[in-house]
Amino acid sequence: MIIGNHKESYASDEAIFRTPATRAWMGIAAVAALVFPFVAGDYLLYLANLMAVLALGALGLNILIGFTGQISLGHAAFMGVGAYATAILASRFGLPFWISIPAGGALATGAGMVVGAPSLRIKGLYLAIATLSAQVIFEWIFTNWTSVTGGIRGLNVAPASIAGFRLDTDERIYFLIVGVTVVHFLLATNLRRSRWGRAFVAVRDRDVAAEIVGVNLFRTKILAFMVSSYYAGIAGGLWVYFTKVVTPETFPLSLSIQFLAIVIVGGLGSIKGTVYGTVFMTLVPELLKAGTGLARVVWPTAQSYLFPLRDVVFGLLIVVFLIFEPHGLAEVWNRVKRFFSLWPFEK
Amino acid sequence: MKHTIRRSALLLAALIGLSPAARAADDVVTVGACQPITGRFAFAGIAINAGLQDYLNLANEKQLVKGKKFNYVYEDSGYDTERAVACFKQIMAKHNPVIMYGESTGLGKAIAPELNSRYKVLYASASFSSELADPKTHPYSFISGPTYSDMFGVLLDYIARNKGAARPKVAFFYSDTEFGKDPIPFARKRAAELGIDVVSEIVTKAGAVDVTSEVLQLKKTNPDYVIFQGYILSPIIEVIRATKDFGLKTKFMGTFWSMDKGIIEKLGPDAEGYMGVNPYAYFYDESAPGIVAMRAWNQKAHPDVKYQPNSYIQGWFTGMVYVEAVKRVVASGKPVTGENLAAVLDTIKDWDTGGVTGKVTFVNHKAGVGRVYRANAAKGIFEPASDWIYSK
Repeated sequence: MIIGNHKESYASDEAIFRTPATRAWMGIAAVAALVFPFVAGDYLLYLANLMAVLALGALGLNILIGFTGQISLGHAAFMGVGAYATAILASRFGLPFWISIPAGGALATGAGMVVGAPSLRIKGLYLAIATLSAQVIFEWIFTNWTSVTGGIRGLNVAPASIAGFRLDTDERIYFLIVGVTVVHFLLATNLRRSRWGRAFVAVRDRDVAAEIVGVNLFRTKILAFMVSSYYAGIAGGLWVYFTKVVTPETFPLSLSIQFLAIVIVGGLGSIKGTVYGTVFMTLVPELLKAGTGLARVVWPTAQSYLFPLRDVVFGLLIVVFLIFEPHGLAEVWNRVKRFFSLWPFEK
Repeated sequence: MKHTIRRSALLLAALIGLSPAARAADDVVTVGACQPITGRFAFAGIAINAGLQDYLNLANEKQLVKGKKFNYVYEDSGYDTERAVACFKQIMAKHNPVIMYGESTGLGKAIAPELNSRYKVLYASASFSSELADPKTHPYSFISGPTYSDMFGVLLDYIARNKGAARPKVAFFYSDTEFGKDPIPFARKRAAELGIDVVSEIVTKAGAVDVTSEVLQLKKTNPDYVIFQGYILSPIIEVIRATKDFGLKTKFMGTFWSMDKGIIEKLGPDAEGYMGVNPYAYFYDESAPGIVAMRAWNQKAHPDVKYQPNSYIQGWFTGMVYVEAVKRVVASGKPVTGENLAAVLDTIKDWDTGGVTGKVTFVNHKAGVGRVYRANAAKGIFEPASDWIYSK
């Protein structure tokens, strides 16, 4: 049983994974992640890739909303900017993925900088509407700037390849997607502990107080927007190589809302929570689908009620979670962990 | 305890599709489908699913293909491309079908790379997008009917055949979506070839209802015909009512999705004279033996169903093509594989469907045939205004 977490050196103070148990679990998780594509079927692998991309995008939004307290309803549009930039560089200029994806991230960062600029003047709901307009404007550009974006039909992209090795199956692209996602999760963990990360949190908790202690509000907010859009842009770039096609209908407002839901259900400001939120929002509908599939076997005529019912159940689950655990799934996890760390000796 | 864990793990694995792909027996042809049974396309998805399933059941009962039984498996994909791709992969892994059906243009595009390189199954979908009717980029896909471009071709042909002394004036009224824009480049070209003037093109959002400025534009150009594309009901109804108020004599036309009986019910007396193209016959058609057989099947299988929408007939017709393709592959003595099925598609020439649609000839994996129908508001039905027209 762990009775304390004593930091006896600078190294242990700086460690990300602090206890031997955490390190062991992370090791197991890493091995599992490496073995997974070789044992999982197509379907699970597809879901895993999808979740990794969504988690990366959602983490960007969590940095903005959860860390810095700035709301955005245009997150899908930034993902779109990254995706289109990547797709254009790859399909028109034949650039390899290791250039096109970071370039997509960079362009999305620029877009985030512009859209984030009003955040100094406006807050809360007003900022939500300002970012919403970014969503609409970018969607319009994707649809109507036909010569560049391919218009409504979008762009097709060849699979990523590295030294002639094509990442053209779900197994192969898995390593790229999950690898990039894991690296960015570690980066975000470190970002939160840095001077900038603390500045983000200070701005979120009370911006006036933050300014008084010397945090440059404008720079901090813009930086949060930039980092957030960068994450979205990278997620967009991965998306392109994952699906090999990008159309304006891939990045609708509903995707922005989905990101928001992931962040809220997972836990605002929690990096782990982003993962839980993504898993919840992606897997639960699939499990419910499997459930209704089983019910169909015993009760075949009920499909017309069962299928729509699934969406109702999913909506209710989200509401129930929010009522009983407003801090999201991350907090539920922490509670479970606390319970078992003393079990069976709880009071 | 251990057993419970093992059992739940097995159950979970079965649930989420880890179970190994079932080896189908030689005499079973598995048809998989990802249908939009929920979501905003459910109005069509439920009917398409029923039509496809019914026809395959009929094929089994009447043994339309000797020695083969069709096994139909479907899942809901919610009209969401990601979920639909997941559904596609799940069905492929679990049931290993040789034929698949998909919900949308989006799914067709997203699955294309893997369909071409790995899955290699015959694929049709609810989409009429001309982008999917290209054997070079989509060798395993076909359109179960005409593309939207073909539908425009049929309508423009009809307009050219029924013109008076002056050159006909046409306006295209479409939504700012893939669905809306798909046939427009072809339609412009075809109109020019037929000597039809396109006097205005109006683009709106998909579900737009405030159409005042658009109607004013129509008033200014005063076209003989307006062709809608990329809508189901709104704003077609609003535009027709508003132009009636302005006293315009314009005739209105729609394509497949806005040609169901429901639009006449919504329009009421204003429906009189509304026209459009439908690739298939209507459920109440008395002259087509194929439709009579369909009604007989419905009477037996769903005695309380009095009407089936066009999407049902779309699903039914897709089933007919599947069965015909399997029949042709079996007749040639080859194994029933996706590659062989796709290869026989373009051998289908002047195929008689019993009037479910015109004589079918597949060119470029699509059957470019349709018929112009006109609404009879008093009877609440569409009546043929032309014979079957083949798009050039």
